[in-house]
Amino acid sequence: MSGKRLSRWVAAVPMALLALATIYPLVFTANVAMKTRRDYVLDRFSPATSPNWDNIVTAWTSVGMARYFANSLIVVSISVVFLLLFGSMAGFALSQLRFRGSKVLFLGCLAALFIPFQVIMVPLARVMADSGLIDTYPGLILAYVAQFLPFTIFLMTSYYKTIPAEIVDAARIDGNTTYGVYRRIMLPMGTPALLSVGILNTLFCWNDVLISLLLMPSADHRTLMVGVTSLRGQYSDDIPTFASGVLIAAVPMLMIYLFLQRQIADGVTAGSTKG
Amino acid sequence: MRSERLAPYVLVAPALLIIVALRLWPLLLGVNFSFTGDGERNGAMVGLDNYLEMFQDATFQSALRNVGLLVLLLPVAVAIPGLLATFIYLRVPGHRFFRSVYFFPAVLSPVIVGAIFNLMLAFDGSLNTVLAVFGVGPVDWLGDPDVAMFAVVGVQIWATFGMALVVFLAGFATLDSALLDAARMDGASLPQTIWHVIIPGLTRTIQFVFVTTMIGMLTSMFGLLYVMTSGGPEGSTYLPEYYIWIQQGQMNRPALASAASTVLFLIMLVVGLLQISVLRRAGRED
Repeated sequence: MSGKRLSRWVAAVPMALLALATIYPLVFTANVAMKTRRDYVLDRFSPATSPNWDNIVTAWTSVGMARYFANSLIVVSISVVFLLLFGSMAGFALSQLRFRGSKVLFLGCLAALFIPFQVIMVPLARVMADSGLIDTYPGLILAYVAQFLPFTIFLMTSYYKTIPAEIVDAARIDGNTTYGVYRRIMLPMGTPALLSVGILNTLFCWNDVLISLLLMPSADHRTLMVGVTSLRGQYSDDIPTFASGVLIAAVPMLMIYLFLQRQIADGVTAGSTKG
Repeated sequence: MRSERLAPYVLVAPALLIIVALRLWPLLLGVNFSFTGDGERNGAMVGLDNYLEMFQDATFQSALRNVGLLVLLLPVAVAIPGLLATFIYLRVPGHRFFRSVYFFPAVLSPVIVGAIFNLMLAFDGSLNTVLAVFGVGPVDWLGDPDVAMFAVVGVQIWATFGMALVVFLAGFATLDSALLDAARMDGASLPQTIWHVIIPGLTRTIQFVFVTTMIGMLTSMFGLLYVMTSGGPEGSTYLPEYYIWIQQGQMNRPALASAASTVLFLIMLVVGLLQISVLRRAGRED
């Protein structure tokens, strides 16, 4: 028995080191962001003596992070609303309603799930350019919705399948139309799934760089992650400001991690246990 | 009630339109593009010219070699979270804390991870400073063509093992604990338990992690490559997705990029089907 105990502790040591290796890079970056340029050049590893917020202010005001932040906020929030709306509508129909072609639709949706963006990015950019949607908010929003909709539908469909058909039948007997069932039963009952899919989609859209880089080329329309990539070249000799920009871009997702970790995990695992 | 009969179609219509117009239709368009020319030959059918040119391109060859490398490293990328999940499941001291900490990089964008690791892996950065304590290095992590790809894959694993870990833990929750108890009663060692109980019991989870990890390595490393190496040094860190971007975004060769897209699609298809069939067979033998 004591041998078992011991072996558990033996495993715990490398795991603790790994945990340190997981946290350290962000702690280092945060520390650098708090340093003056001079302190950084002299000794980048020592803890910042007194927190210096100047770099954060510089990154927010003069580097353009505020603008990029606003762009991301607009695009991501609208995209997620549409993803949840269209995803839950289709998920409801595919899980609870019987109609011609529903099987084919679900399979088509699954197939779309396995088309990576890189495979369709060239023609998509052309379609967007032809329809005048390139470098516009609606264009990027549409692209995000298209990119993450199959996954959203897949999860919503499997969640709605767990709702007993009797509930839907009862609602119909009470005089609800199909739309009424969707609005009064499915939307409220789907809240846990909508929350977890919504958070995951927020994460995906917020963290995306390729789609945004491709479809939002102008500097004014840059999203936050594209903004971070442009920081590198501009501030290669001012690492503390660079680190501040990185930190600003990471903070929203760190907040989600701190408060909504469970919902992310639920969303990630839903695909693995049901697939 | 005509409107009632139409309701399901109305509900799926927005999703259907978007998916068909912006995912399935572009897929067909792209395959078609790949047989047309760029520049002066824009729109003209050129047969397999793009494919021939691409396979002779040193950077595309490098991209394909790196895909091979990813396939070789895949078992490592799956085993790390698998082993960690096993320890967490066996309630190593501090397992709750570990689970939560390991997951944190998973919420960060590859761009942010890449930017942070540019600082970590710099020649005078943190990693070399730590290694110097042990008398190792310094290593030019991102500047040495023989090392750079391993450095980038290492960062990718750092950034994503938490996701796979969570999936493994969900798989463990479905594992029959009576089997584990029986193994313990029979005095099975940890490696024996893993080999004879955990792996056969988790076939489906392992299969899922294999496929998603491979898909992740083939399609979500763009941000890392873009920020950390830009495909260099000497084209050693190219992947098909980066090649597609360079041809489309920098070289103005959309048709050539489409050919690379088609190849990437085929790679994904083959890898996915192969893994599923191999793991199915492994699962049946037990």
